[in-house]
Amino acid sequence: MTPTDLLARPAEPATGRRSRRRSATLVLGCVLTGLVALLAVVSFLWLPYSPDDTSGGRLAGPGDGHLLGTDKLGRDLLTQLMTGARIAFGAGLGSVSVAALVGVTLGVLAAFAQGWLDDTLSAFLDILIAFPTLLLAMLVVAARSATLGSAVLAIGLAQSAVVARLVRILVKRVLTQDYITAARTSGTSWPRTVAGHVLPNIWPTLVVNLALQFGLAVLAEASLSYLGLGAPPPNASWGRLLQEAQATFTTAPAGALAPGILLVLLVIGVNLIADGLRDVLDPAGRGRRT
Amino acid sequence: MSLKKTSLYAATTVAALSVALTACGGSSSSGSSGGAWDKDATVNIGSLYEPQNLDNTAGGGQGVTEALNGNVYEGLFKLTDDGDVEKLLAENYKVSDDGLTYTFTLRDGVRFHSGKKLTSADVKYSLEKVLADDSQSARKSNLKVVKHIATPDAKTVKVTLSQKSISFVYNLSYVWIINSEAKNLKTTEDGTGPYTLAKWTRGSALSLDRFADYWGDAAANKKVVFHYYKNATALNNALMTNAVDVVTGEQSPDALDQFKNNQNYKVNDGDSTTKLLLAFNDKAKPFNNVKVRQAVSAAIDDKKLLHSVWGDYGRLIGSMVPPTDPWYEDLTDVNAYNVKKAKRLLAEAGYRDGFAFTLDTPNYDPHPTAATFIKSELAKVGITVKINTITSDQWYTKVYQNHDFTATLQEHVNDRDLVWYGNPDFYWGYDDKHVTAWIKQAEEASTTAQQTALLKKANRKTAEDAASDWLYLYPQIVVASSKLSGYPLNGLNAQFYAYDIKKKG
Repeated sequence: MTPTDLLARPAEPATGRRSRRRSATLVLGCVLTGLVALLAVVSFLWLPYSPDDTSGGRLAGPGDGHLLGTDKLGRDLLTQLMTGARIAFGAGLGSVSVAALVGVTLGVLAAFAQGWLDDTLSAFLDILIAFPTLLLAMLVVAARSATLGSAVLAIGLAQSAVVARLVRILVKRVLTQDYITAARTSGTSWPRTVAGHVLPNIWPTLVVNLALQFGLAVLAEASLSYLGLGAPPPNASWGRLLQEAQATFTTAPAGALAPGILLVLLVIGVNLIADGLRDVLDPAGRGRRT
Repeated sequence: MSLKKTSLYAATTVAALSVALTACGGSSSSGSSGGAWDKDATVNIGSLYEPQNLDNTAGGGQGVTEALNGNVYEGLFKLTDDGDVEKLLAENYKVSDDGLTYTFTLRDGVRFHSGKKLTSADVKYSLEKVLADDSQSARKSNLKVVKHIATPDAKTVKVTLSQKSISFVYNLSYVWIINSEAKNLKTTEDGTGPYTLAKWTRGSALSLDRFADYWGDAAANKKVVFHYYKNATALNNALMTNAVDVVTGEQSPDALDQFKNNQNYKVNDGDSTTKLLLAFNDKAKPFNNVKVRQAVSAAIDDKKLLHSVWGDYGRLIGSMVPPTDPWYEDLTDVNAYNVKKAKRLLAEAGYRDGFAFTLDTPNYDPHPTAATFIKSELAKVGITVKINTITSDQWYTKVYQNHDFTATLQEHVNDRDLVWYGNPDFYWGYDDKHVTAWIKQAEEASTTAQQTALLKKANRKTAEDAASDWLYLYPQIVVASSKLSGYPLNGLNAQFYAYDIKKKG
C-alpha cells in the first residue's frame, strides 16, 4: 500500500444506485460540455459564413440561408455563436491555467509558511477573495488594454486566490499525515515530498474546484465582454452578442436567446462534470461543498 | 449700421416666434379635440442622463442641460427647438458699429427663485463664472473673446469683446443667469426659470415645481419629474407601464415597434445634432494624405451602417453640419460610397496593397458595432483595421488630450461645431489655412448672411478633404404618451424644455 492510498481512497464501495446516479451526472455534464466543445472544434474547420460577411439582411429571422438568422449588421448568427464558443473555451481554459499555476504555487508556499508569514499570506488571500472578481478584472483590463488576454489574465488572477486558499488548507492537512513524516525521516527532500506525496493527494479536490472555476471563468469573460471590456470586436464573444441583442430582443429574440442558452449549457455542463468528478475521485468528500 | 443689425435680428425673432406660435396652435388644437388639458398635471419624463451635479460650469454633463436649461435656469437668450436664437432675459440689445461692444437691457420684473430681483451684477457674475479658470463649461473657449463686462446701472450690461464674434449672442444662450449670492450650486439652484428645483434623489429622480412668481407665462403643468434609468430597455418598459409619459430620446429603433402600433403612444422622428464620426488623425500617417482619407470615406457604405444601427431612422449628411445649423448643405455626394474609386485613390496614394491601422473604439454603443462594420468594409479594399476598445476616460486622455491615435470613433453631440475644423490644435489636427481663415472670418462677419456663406465654404472644403468621415446623423426619436403635447422634438444639445408640455386629464 502506497502512502497515497491512505488518504483519499474509498473506504467502502459505493452502493449501486449511488454510483449510477453519479455517473449519470458525469455523463450528462460531458454531453452538454461536449456539444459546445464540438461547436468550437468545428468552427476551426468549417463555418457557415465568414465572420466578417455582412451580406445578410438586418436582423433577418431564422431560415433563408441563415439557420438562426442574422444580427444588426447582417452577419450570420450561427457563425458568431461558433466563433464565440472558441472564445468561451479559450477564456475558461486560459483562466483556469493561470489560476492553477499561481494558486497552487501560492497555496503550497502558504502551507509551509510559519508564524507571521503564514498569517500575512492568508490575510492577503482573504482580502483578494473578498475583492469581487469582476472588479479586479476591470482594473486589470483598464491598466492593460481590452483584449481577450487581459481578460483571461485578470480572471485567472482573481481565481488564483480561491485556489490558493483551498490548496493551503489541503496541503496543511496532508502535511500532518504519518507518511509525510515517514518520507521526511527517510531523507526525502521537501521539493520531492511535495511532488511525490503532497500534490498527488490533493489533486482530486483541486481538479473538482478547477472545473467549477472553469464555469465561473466563462461567465466572467461573458460579463466583461457584455461591458465591452472583454475580447474586442469583431470577436463574437457570447457576452458581446448578448449585449448587442439586448436592444433588439423584442424584434429578434434569437440573437439574445441563442448565446444565452449556450452559456447556460456550458456552465451547467462543467458544473455537472465537477459534481460527477467529485463523487468519482473523492467519495469521502461527497456532500461537502468546496 | 447697428440699427440695421438689430432689425435683422428682430425679423428673425418674429419669424421664429411665428413658427413657434404655429407649432403651439397645432399641438393645442390636437389637444383640445381629445379633451381639456390639466393645468396642474405632473409630467413624468424618462431619461438615461442623470446629472453628475447641478452646475453646468462644473462638469454636470448633458443631464444637467436636459433637466435645468430653460426650465430652472435661463440665459439672456435662448435657443429654440428649431435652432433659432431668441431674446429671453435680455429685453433688448445693441451692438456698436465696430461690433465689439454689446449693450444688453435686462427685462423688468424678473425674480430669482430665492426672491431676489435680477440685476446686471448677476449677469456679470454669471458670465465670469463661465469664464473662470476652474470652469468646465463647454462654451468657455467660445466666450474667451469677452474682454470686459461693465454694469453702468442695474438694468444694463455692457460687454466689450477683444474681437468681433457674430456667435456671441448665440453663445450667450448657454450662459445661465445665476443669483450672484447663491451657494452650493452643485446640489441646489437659484435661477429665474419657470420651475424651481423641488427634490433631487440621486440615482433615481429629479423633480421640478412650477414657480409662482415667474416673470413670463406660467408653465403649462404644475410638476415635472425626470426619472433616470440605467439602460434603454428599462426606460422603454417604464414608458410601456406608464411610469413615465415621455422618453427624451430613444437609443435604438428596435424597441419602437411596441409603441408605433399602439394608439396610446406617439413616436416622433426629429433631427438631432449628434453625428457619428470616424475621426482620422489628419496629422499622422497614413491619414495626413487626403487621398487616403477620401478612399476610406468612399469605401464605407454609410447608408448600410445607418440602417444597421437605426433601421429606417436617421439620415446621412456627408459633413459636420446638421440640418438645424443655418449653414447646412446636403453634401452626401462628396466622397460618396464607391468601392472602385476608393481602390483607385488608394493606388494613387501609394497604398495599392492596402495598409493596416488601429481604430480606437469607445466600448459603448454604437461604436463597437460601427467599428465591426468599418473593419469588414475596409477589408474589401485591402485595409486591415485593428480594433482597440477603450473606455470613455481613456478616450479623453489618449485621443482628446494627447492626440495619440491614428483613427477613432466618436459621437459629436453639439450643434454649430463645424468650427473645430478651424482649430489646428483640436484632437483631429485638421489644418487647412483656407478653412481656418474662413472660420475665423465667419466669426468676425458683420451679417449672418456673410457668416453663413463663409461657413458653407469651409464645410464644403472639409467635406472634400474628408477631414473626418461623417458616418451619419442620429435621429432624435421622442416617444410620448398620446395624452401629451407641446414637448420638444429636436432636442438640440440635449435641451428639453418642459414648460409647454400639456397633459390631458
